[in-house]
Amino acid sequence: MKTTTVWRTSIAILLIAAMLVGCGGKDKQSTASQPARNASGELEGNLVVWTFFDQVEDMAAQFMKENPKVKVEVKTFPGDDYQTKLLTALQSGQNVPDVFDLERSYIGKFIDSKYLSDLSAMGAEDLVANYVPYVQALGRASDNTIRAVSDHSSPGGFWYIRENAQKYLGTDDPDQISDMVNSWDKIIALGQKVEQQSQGQVHLISNSGDLFDIEAYNTEPWVKDGKLNIDPKWEQYYTIQQQINDNNVDAKLSFMSAGWGNALNDGSVVLTTMPAWASFMIDNDNGAAKGKYGVARTPEGYYNGGTYRGIYRESPNQELAYEFIKYIAGEKWQQHNLEATGNMPGNAKVYEKNLNTFTSEITGDQKVMKVYYDVVKDLPALQPDKYSEEILSTWRKVAKEGITNHTDYAAVLANFTKQVQNAFPEIQAP
Amino acid sequence: MNSKLNKYYFGYIFVAPFFISFAVFGLVPILYTLYLSFTNWDAFNDPAYTGFGNYTRLLHDIAFYQSIGNTLIIWIFSIVPQLIIAITLAIILNEKFIRGKHFFRAIYYFPNIITPVTLGVLFSLIFDWQTGSINKLLTTIGLVEDPINWFNNPWWSRLIVAAVICWQNFGFNMIVFIAGLQSIPDEVYEASQVDGANGWQKTWYVTIPLLRPVFIFTLITSVIGGLQLFDSPYMIGNGPNNTTRTMIMYLYETAFKNFNFGYGAAIAYGVFVIVMCFTAVTVWLTRRREQ
Repeated sequence: MKTTTVWRTSIAILLIAAMLVGCGGKDKQSTASQPARNASGELEGNLVVWTFFDQVEDMAAQFMKENPKVKVEVKTFPGDDYQTKLLTALQSGQNVPDVFDLERSYIGKFIDSKYLSDLSAMGAEDLVANYVPYVQALGRASDNTIRAVSDHSSPGGFWYIRENAQKYLGTDDPDQISDMVNSWDKIIALGQKVEQQSQGQVHLISNSGDLFDIEAYNTEPWVKDGKLNIDPKWEQYYTIQQQINDNNVDAKLSFMSAGWGNALNDGSVVLTTMPAWASFMIDNDNGAAKGKYGVARTPEGYYNGGTYRGIYRESPNQELAYEFIKYIAGEKWQQHNLEATGNMPGNAKVYEKNLNTFTSEITGDQKVMKVYYDVVKDLPALQPDKYSEEILSTWRKVAKEGITNHTDYAAVLANFTKQVQNAFPEIQAP
Repeated sequence: MNSKLNKYYFGYIFVAPFFISFAVFGLVPILYTLYLSFTNWDAFNDPAYTGFGNYTRLLHDIAFYQSIGNTLIIWIFSIVPQLIIAITLAIILNEKFIRGKHFFRAIYYFPNIITPVTLGVLFSLIFDWQTGSINKLLTTIGLVEDPINWFNNPWWSRLIVAAVICWQNFGFNMIVFIAGLQSIPDEVYEASQVDGANGWQKTWYVTIPLLRPVFIFTLITSVIGGLQLFDSPYMIGNGPNNTTRTMIMYLYETAFKNFNFGYGAAIAYGVFVIVMCFTAVTVWLTRRREQ
């Protein structure tokens, strides 16, 4: 071979190699399970946890404090792309986490997949034995085994500025207010009164859509035996929403919109439907909101969101990962989390222990956990499925448009059915 | 001479990185998407071959046709004012007597460097019917009595999306037009002046015809870019009854929200065919005019 040919070939190989060097990744993880404890019985090893929110850092820090020989690496991927990134990693088996977070809105898509370990087989039934029923049910696959566990519940209530409630409702007592708004009929009547009294400047609730959020998980699942299942309650709720909208009971501000946040802080809405975890929306700079708010019960049990944690089935650190899940399902972590962030526990024992003592800065002396415990106990324990959240979001949008445009229920239902069938042709129309 | 030249393969070596990277990061995904389009794949199980099932579904999919219509409407509403504003500003800012033209060029180009997501959020806040500044302004000056629910109206929604895209891109097209204007030789203008042309005639009979290649470039890039609209409209939302849902938004929702990657891939190929057809028509029309 001529020298020039060798030289040319070498350069070509070098160029190609240089370019492809970045394409490589770590080899697939070894699937041989590693023991979690060393000879002296201490937990030892490394864990990788994937999440979309930064509070997991504290969770890892607390776990490492308990187990100094364990290193937990938390990788946070904020934003909507987290689930796609996670799915891609799980499919490829490259750089896969040992433990990963799943949000309520898409846990149903993952729960029956081959990527989640069967936690029931590892003993998780005991971990969730004292759990709030709806929280533990959301971590179950269709075969009823536990695949994911949450460390919290996400109950919501009617938040109100005490001064505002005194002015428009005549009281700031949470129990009295809860009684005043324990049915939608009472809410409509009260809302009309507030609207008249304030000459249209103040509204009782933020949005007629709050009703969707409250009733979303008090209805039957959207898909049953492969058929679209429309709970008859939705027609009743649609009519009530129409009345709320037409009578200006609501300020027509969508949940988490800028106007919604302003109303929560400036009092142009008396009662704001809000989950416990959303208290960061309240402006509490320099303690401005100290003792300013109260929380009342909604007409039916209500929750919004939730984060669940599962173990990757091929992870070599199954035992250690399970210890991590065990820790976050336990009372110690959930008590710490409650005190540090105000996130409500998933474990009912932690609720019960704190019912008469827990207070938060914003809600002052009120024993808010009593409200939330009543709320979460009410909620039906429904298992997630891969369709319901997307279908619920389609319903919410179609019904919202129908209410704004005064469309009759039959037309809204026809449009909704058409959209669901278009997105999921495998689901049979009712 | 020729035979001696043919012995050297340095050229192939130097262009190889592009072709290899294109094959790995471009061609392989394109072919893999084609393969997926013949399968039913939810990403959790192995893809199941379905033949032309996804394409048959696509041909009968009213939502897909609606998304094509939405995309075209939004594109037309954005491209027409975009090009008119761009060419007008380019001609004005190319004049020698305009002071501070570099400053204005930078200002008009500025929206192009803002991410479309940011613009989408910004416009959705500005046009919020309860708290948006546009309604506040209109009610304050007494132009309307009650706030307008912009995003509850299909045409207002589409116009707002088109306005976002127009506002973002007219500065870029303006720069392209200025570059085109500066390539027109002064002699042509001098000759037209000798012939007695006034300012308007110079623009209409000299500048515009000589800018034809630039027009073709902007038109073709706008067709390709405009038919792939995604981020700004996505941040603004689907509009009432999905009237601002573009083709790519539909693809994204199908593949990444509903986890139907097989049908999502078929939509991707459907979009590809549509973009190809429109680009071909644009090229054909512009060539025909040249002839």
